Amino acid sequence: MAMLLYIDPGGGSYLVQAIIAAVLGFMFYFKTLWFRIRSFFVRPKPKPPTENDKEPS
Amino acid sequence: MTRNLPDHPASYRDPAGFVFRRDGRVYRQVNPVYADDYRLLMDSGLYGKLVAEQLLIPHEEVEAGTLLPLQLPVISYPCEWSPDQLKDAALLSLKVMRIAIDHGMILKDASPRNIQWLNARPIFIDTLSFERYDPARPWIAYRQFCESFLFPLYLHHYFRQGIHKTLAAYPEGMPAGTLLPLLPFKSRFRAGVWLHVVLPARVVTSGKGGQVSFDQRRLLLLIGSLEDSLRGLRTEASRAVGWSRYYSETVMSQAYVHEKERLFREMTAAIDFGSALDLGANDGYFSRILAEKKARVIAVDDQWACTSTLYRVAAASGGSSSSGAGGHIYPLCVDIADPTPASGFANAERSSFTERAQCDLVVALAVVHHLVLMKNIPFALLADYLALLTRQWLIIEFVPISDEKASALIRDKPVFHKPYDAYAFEAQFALLFNIEQKQPIPGTERILYLMRKKADAI
Repeated sequence: MAMLLYIDPGGGSYLVQAIIAAVLGFMFYFKTLWFRIRSFFVRPKPKPPTENDKEPS
Repeated sequence: MTRNLPDHPASYRDPAGFVFRRDGRVYRQVNPVYADDYRLLMDSGLYGKLVAEQLLIPHEEVEAGTLLPLQLPVISYPCEWSPDQLKDAALLSLKVMRIAIDHGMILKDASPRNIQWLNARPIFIDTLSFERYDPARPWIAYRQFCESFLFPLYLHHYFRQGIHKTLAAYPEGMPAGTLLPLLPFKSRFRAGVWLHVVLPARVVTSGKGGQVSFDQRRLLLLIGSLEDSLRGLRTEASRAVGWSRYYSETVMSQAYVHEKERLFREMTAAIDFGSALDLGANDGYFSRILAEKKARVIAVDDQWACTSTLYRVAAASGGSSSSGAGGHIYPLCVDIADPTPASGFANAERSSFTERAQCDLVVALAVVHHLVLMKNIPFALLADYLALLTRQWLIIEFVPISDEKASALIRDKPVFHKPYDAYAFEAQFALLFNIEQKQPIPGTERILYLMRKKADAI
């Protein structure tokens, strides 16, 4: 059965999406990797005390 | 052989079905070719989920394949919206996409015209835009989405000119190759510009699509990137732009607005109306008073910043007035001196603003001097047009030449139609309207009129 496409996907639009998805996937992979490495070396900083933590004077 | 014509001039494009009118109501017919996709929409739970979240227009199936959707009181087009309206419509489309993917469907087109406004919120109206999702195929409507939503918003982000003129010039969206040379150098620091503008503009159009590897994870990354790009764009009105907040900030206005409001409330209390058209609505001060009277109000201004401000206010209160008991405001960015023409194929696809804007009451406050002095529209033509727009009532403010604002207008533009005075104004309007009330606004030389259209006028 012939597929009914009523809008023109545009020459190259599929290719563009494949490239964009590859770039985004790449960025996502390295972002995750970076956070993993950082959390291995850097201990989370203790939170500074807030107003609520202070003893009433 | 019979001629096979679509029933509504706007619905010839999609082979999945068509729209038709019967007894003043709009119906949507599902063609046999789309029947499977339609069943999937209904049976997968997608329709129920979208309608429950007020993202898709509800309908009832009056007979097999014939849908009666909720009837919308006002139809508008993207070339009449403010930038934040277009952005909200874009984010709605992507939200609908995400939910559709969860239910095994996808949007097969991404036109902003698939979206209308209900209670100052965007709502998806094209029930036949959903088709079965094939994860191996990229999004067929990606380019259309970028060209008609994202690109006009990029232009607005950098140049702050609204999106209405862009979409009037490019009703099917602006191609990447057209946008790219217009964007400033600093735009290159945005990842979204590289991905969605530079790349598509540079990729050689090979003509063959579909032979790429793709999956759902990649599609979700693409949608996420479009959402991030949209969210990072400035669309709201700053205080510095144009006439926005004219009523709330003009120094001369405090006593004047108070007196005008008092007279305006008296006049609107004396008449019955279910719909109103506020021309030159500005920040919507008077549109909100009309909405309190449970009227459906089309609030029109040619400054996108005004439309934008009014949209924020209307959206925050769910489209109704601050009292919560009022009607709904439809803010639109339209120039009364050059309203949206009928356009599209055969000039019939999209109807003109004049056809769509007719109301029981037309309100024209502090706009006559702009139209007559700046746009050189004679009183007679203005009266004709307002008589065409209103079904019955007209509340109109006359601003004399001695007025501070009017004299500021003609300081550098002395050529306009003369005589410009209340006598000439009344003489022309009295040909088409009965002047029911004439109230000078205390402390000014301005006059507020309540007029009723004569039975034999237009």
